[in-house]
Parts: sequence; C-alpha cells; structure tokens
Amino acid sequence: MKHLNVYIIALIAVCVSASCRKDLPEINDPANTISGNFSEVFDSYWNGMNNNYVFWDIDTTDWDRVYKQYKPLFAKLNLNDSTDVRKGYTYFKEMTAGLVDSHYDLTFKDAWLADSFSINPAYQRKVASPDYHDPISIFHFYNDVPRGYLDAGAVRGFTNVGTTAQYVAVSGTINQDILYFFFSGFNLKTLYNTDTANGVKTVEQYFFDKLKNTANIKGVIIDVRGNGGGDLADLNFLLGRMIDKQLDFGYTRSKQGNGRLDYSPWAPAFVTPQAGARNITAPIVMLADAWSVSMAEMTTMAVKSLPNGHFVGERTWGANGPLTSNIYYNGGQFSTDYINLVYTSSLMLKYRDGKIYEGVGFPPDVEVKYDAASLETGRDKQLEAAIGLIR
Amino acid sequence: MKRKLCLFVALFLCAYGAYAQFEVGISGGYNRNYLHTSTGYRAFTKYEDLGGFVVGIPIQYHFNDWFAIEADPSYIQKNYEQSRDHFFEGIYQKNTNSYIQLPLMAHFSFGGSKLRGFFNAGGYAAYWMSGRIKGAMANVFDDGPEIPDNEQVYDYLQFNQAYKYDEKYTFDSRRDRRIELGLLAGAGIEYRLQQKYRFFVEARYYYGLSDQQKNYMINQIPRYNDTYVLQAGCMFNIRNIFHGSSAE
Repeated sequence: MKHLNVYIIALIAVCVSASCRKDLPEINDPANTISGNFSEVFDSYWNGMNNNYVFWDIDTTDWDRVYKQYKPLFAKLNLNDSTDVRKGYTYFKEMTAGLVDSHYDLTFKDAWLADSFSINPAYQRKVASPDYHDPISIFHFYNDVPRGYLDAGAVRGFTNVGTTAQYVAVSGTINQDILYFFFSGFNLKTLYNTDTANGVKTVEQYFFDKLKNTANIKGVIIDVRGNGGGDLADLNFLLGRMIDKQLDFGYTRSKQGNGRLDYSPWAPAFVTPQAGARNITAPIVMLADAWSVSMAEMTTMAVKSLPNGHFVGERTWGANGPLTSNIYYNGGQFSTDYINLVYTSSLMLKYRDGKIYEGVGFPPDVEVKYDAASLETGRDKQLEAAIGLIR
Repeated sequence: MKRKLCLFVALFLCAYGAYAQFEVGISGGYNRNYLHTSTGYRAFTKYEDLGGFVVGIPIQYHFNDWFAIEADPSYIQKNYEQSRDHFFEGIYQKNTNSYIQLPLMAHFSFGGSKLRGFFNAGGYAAYWMSGRIKGAMANVFDDGPEIPDNEQVYDYLQFNQAYKYDEKYTFDSRRDRRIELGLLAGAGIEYRLQQKYRFFVEARYYYGLSDQQKNYMINQIPRYNDTYVLQAGCMFNIRNIFHGSSAE
C-alpha cells in the first residue's frame, strides 16, 4: 500500500460527496397532531392535503403557493381569540376555493365555529354559477310523478335512518311497459337486506319484481335527480340485475405514495352482473340533474356505457371519485386535531372516454334544463323527454 | 452499412491497440437495489429491495501498473418493490427500472503479476430509460363474494378483489427525474492469463445522489437508489490480441 495517501484522498472525496443527499423530511399523521396554536393547525392540515388529496394531478390549485401565502398568515392568529378563529375559517375557505374535488367538505371541531357552515368549494361554485337552481322538491317525485305520469298501482315509500338520513323511493309503470324507479339516495342494498320491512324496501321489491316479470319491457327509467349518492355496493345491486356480462365504464386510481403525483395504475371500473339478472335490451334511461352527485353520477356513467343506455337531463354535480377510509387506499379523507373531517375522495375516476369529469360534471346526451315554472304546475319536462326517447 | 460499421470498429480497436495501456472488456452481474426513502405514516406499507442485472463494456486506460481510469458503459436495472402487509397482504408493486449508465472511476490495483486486488472509486451518470410496473391493487369496483355475518375477514382483498397489472411505466415529466448522478466504490480481484486476458470479479456499490423526483412540491420525500452489484468479467488487452504478446 505504498500509495496510501492517494487512497485516503479518494476516500475523503467520496465521503464529502455522499453528504449531498437531502434529508428525509418527517411526515406525521395529521390525526396525531396537537392544535396548540394556529401554526400547528395549518401545518397538520396543509401536510394532510399535500400527502392525501388525490386530485393533484388535475387540480389547478398551486398548493406550494398556498403554503407560502397562508403559513405566515396563520402564524399571526391566536387560537384563543374568537375573531382570529373566524379569520382562520376565512383563510381555509380561500385556500380551498379552487379545489376540483366536488365531494370536498371541511368541518371543524372548534366550538367557535359550531354555527358556521362546513366549507364546501363545489357548493360555493355551484351557488355562484349563472345556471344555479335549487334541487327539485322531493314532493315532486313523491306526489307529482305518481299522480301525473305513473300507472295506477305505483308504490312509494320512505325510510328514516338514524336521526338525519331519510331515503325516499318511488316506482311504477308508464303505459304498463316502461318501468320507472326513483330513489333519493344510494342505500338500496342495505335497506333491502334489513330484516324489518321499510318503505324503500317495499318499493325496491316492486321494481325488481317488475323488472323480472314484465314480459315486454319497452324501457326503464332510473331517476337519480337530486340524488346525493351513497353506497358503492348499490351499483352491482341495482344495475347488476339488468346486464348479463361485465359492464366496463371507466377506471379508478388511488394514491400510492406521499408525493402529490404518486398514483397507482388505472384499474377498471365495472358493474358485475348479479345472480338471476335479466339482460335488459330495451332502452335504459338515466334521469339526472345538477344535484345528482357521486354514486348517482357513477350509475349514470355506467348506464351510458350500455349500448341501450341514455342520459337525459342536466350536467351532473361533478363529484365522481369513490370514497372510503384513508387506510384502505393510502389517501383521501383525514382528520386533524382541529378539523373534524377533511371529506375528500379516496380515488380518482376516469370515464371510459378517457376524460375525467371531476369538478365539471357528466354531460347528458339529451339535455333538458331545469324548468321551475313547469315543475310548479306538476309538469316534468325531463321525465317527458325520457319517455319520448323510449317511445 | 453493417459492413462499414464492422470495418470502422475493427480499425478503431486496432488503432487503440497500439497503446499497450488500453483494455476493453465485457462484464455482467447481479444487483440488488434499495430505494432510500420513507413511507411516512402510511399504514402497513413498506419499500423493499429487488434484484436485477447489469451488463457492461468496461474500458480501462492504464497509466502505470497500479493506476488506471475506467469507464464502464452499461445497462443496469434498479428495481424495488412497494408492498403492504398484515390486513393488506397481497397488495404490491414491483418496479423494474432500466438505466443506461456511464460510471467513470479511478482504478487502483495492487498485488502480484497474475493475481491482483483492486479498488474502484468514482462517479456515474445514468439515464432512466424505461420502467415496468407489475403488481396487484385492490379494485374498489370489484366486490368479493358476500362474506357471511359470522365469518371473520383476513385480508382487504376479500372486500375489494385484486386488480393485477403488468404494464409499462408511464413517466410524468412534472415529477420524474430521469438523469441520475451518483458515486461508486468497488473492490475485487483479477487474474491475468497469457498477457491477453484479465478475468475479474468485483463487488460494487452505486450511491445515488440525485432524487428520482424533480423538486415539485414542498415537504417532498426524496428517493435515492442504492445499488449493490456483484459482477464478473474479462478485460482484453487489445494490442496483445491483435499484435501478439509483449514482454512486460
């Protein structure tokens, strides 16, 4: 080893260069943070979004800019001052205003915000849009549709779940050969499988029996106007009864790492036929509107993918990403010590045409706008268009 | 065209063969690549090392009997796996990443005239050519068979069945940094045969200094490749092959 000095110099050079790696940042679970001050509140929320939000690929919000702009602003606030807490609420509203996720909803644990609305960017955008209209009254579906459009013998019912949720369903025939099924939310499978009788279950049974036993079905109308979505299991439970082979309608992907752009591959989204299903070859028409959200939109997309599928009504809400607990898909909704729930999608959905309709809504192939004046008189132009399409 | 290329290569090798110090060779071996990163607080999720292979064409220029510089243009895989365990057993992704790499190093050797030991130290530049991902993920739209109320559930894929995939990795230019720079160190032994050939085995370590991702987000968790290679090869003394053995 007569050239030891050369070896030592080489070794030192290697060691110096090796220190060029960046340190791994410590990333903590936002649920395990302490909201002792507003800086901690901001950091836990911002990092939670940074790592868990699934739409960074398509979202136009510059989250780094949000960090640089709002971190110092939150640092000036006092968590024990009600005026500052209100100001913090306003900051949260500003920070999230452009988020594309149309499920997105922020609720707070702070008692000073107990009387404040949750922060829902999609709703704020919807209210501000020139096309905004209120949802169609549930009484239109419950009273006007059976009275004005359904044959005698139509059934309707409702079921209350807990103290806040109510599910309404209506079903009947139109001219004896068109089946109509309205339901206000996706909890069909659960309500159907309960041991006790309930209003929605009765309506479901009626519809399923008609679907199976009506000899010459001319068409099926599934009405999800005003339907806020719900259980994903209902997709197979409902549409799986009308197909005899797998129905592919899109793709989903989830987060796969902590980076904003770390995604899984796209997995196919499909409906699986159910045992005893009847392949419906007659037109199946989805009736949906601007208040058809989430599962109502996914069901519409699935039906639209059928060769005999149609969509009449308005562009939907635009919340297409399925939701589940964060742990299952390593992303999506989370909580912090200060925020009760950051309600956000767990997966991103892409329709079979390659487009992502999150934030923009799924467009109808036959557009019929909301008509308040007609609805006031009990006339339903959207339903009439669906019937007209079948005839 | 092919004939012209062969002629050019032959002339090139002959020309370089005029220098006794110049050697060219082939090498190949097995490697294990570790991704130096963190899963943060992701539940039941981990990164693991994976095996791959490397093939190269080492070229050495000897200044004297103990010191040479070496370039080793090569194809190398730097693979790793991300997987989940416990209730999420069965969810995984194997990343097969192919790089074209150019290591440049100082080659220090010592020992006798036939059997010698050596050290290599230097750096490398690599280009992430392509990738392939193979794995299984839960598909939220693929419900498993109904689970009876009195039955326990042992893994998440009973709820949402696995979607298995094996596809080309799609680069995202906003995130993926395809140029990798790093350091290397190696050690091995070589055996000289008939003044024409030197057979060697070497253990080499590639230490990535470039994050696999561009700086595209605050609080980004970097990813570095750590690659351990065990390779063997043979160096040819061009001059001695084309002009016969020369006395030392």
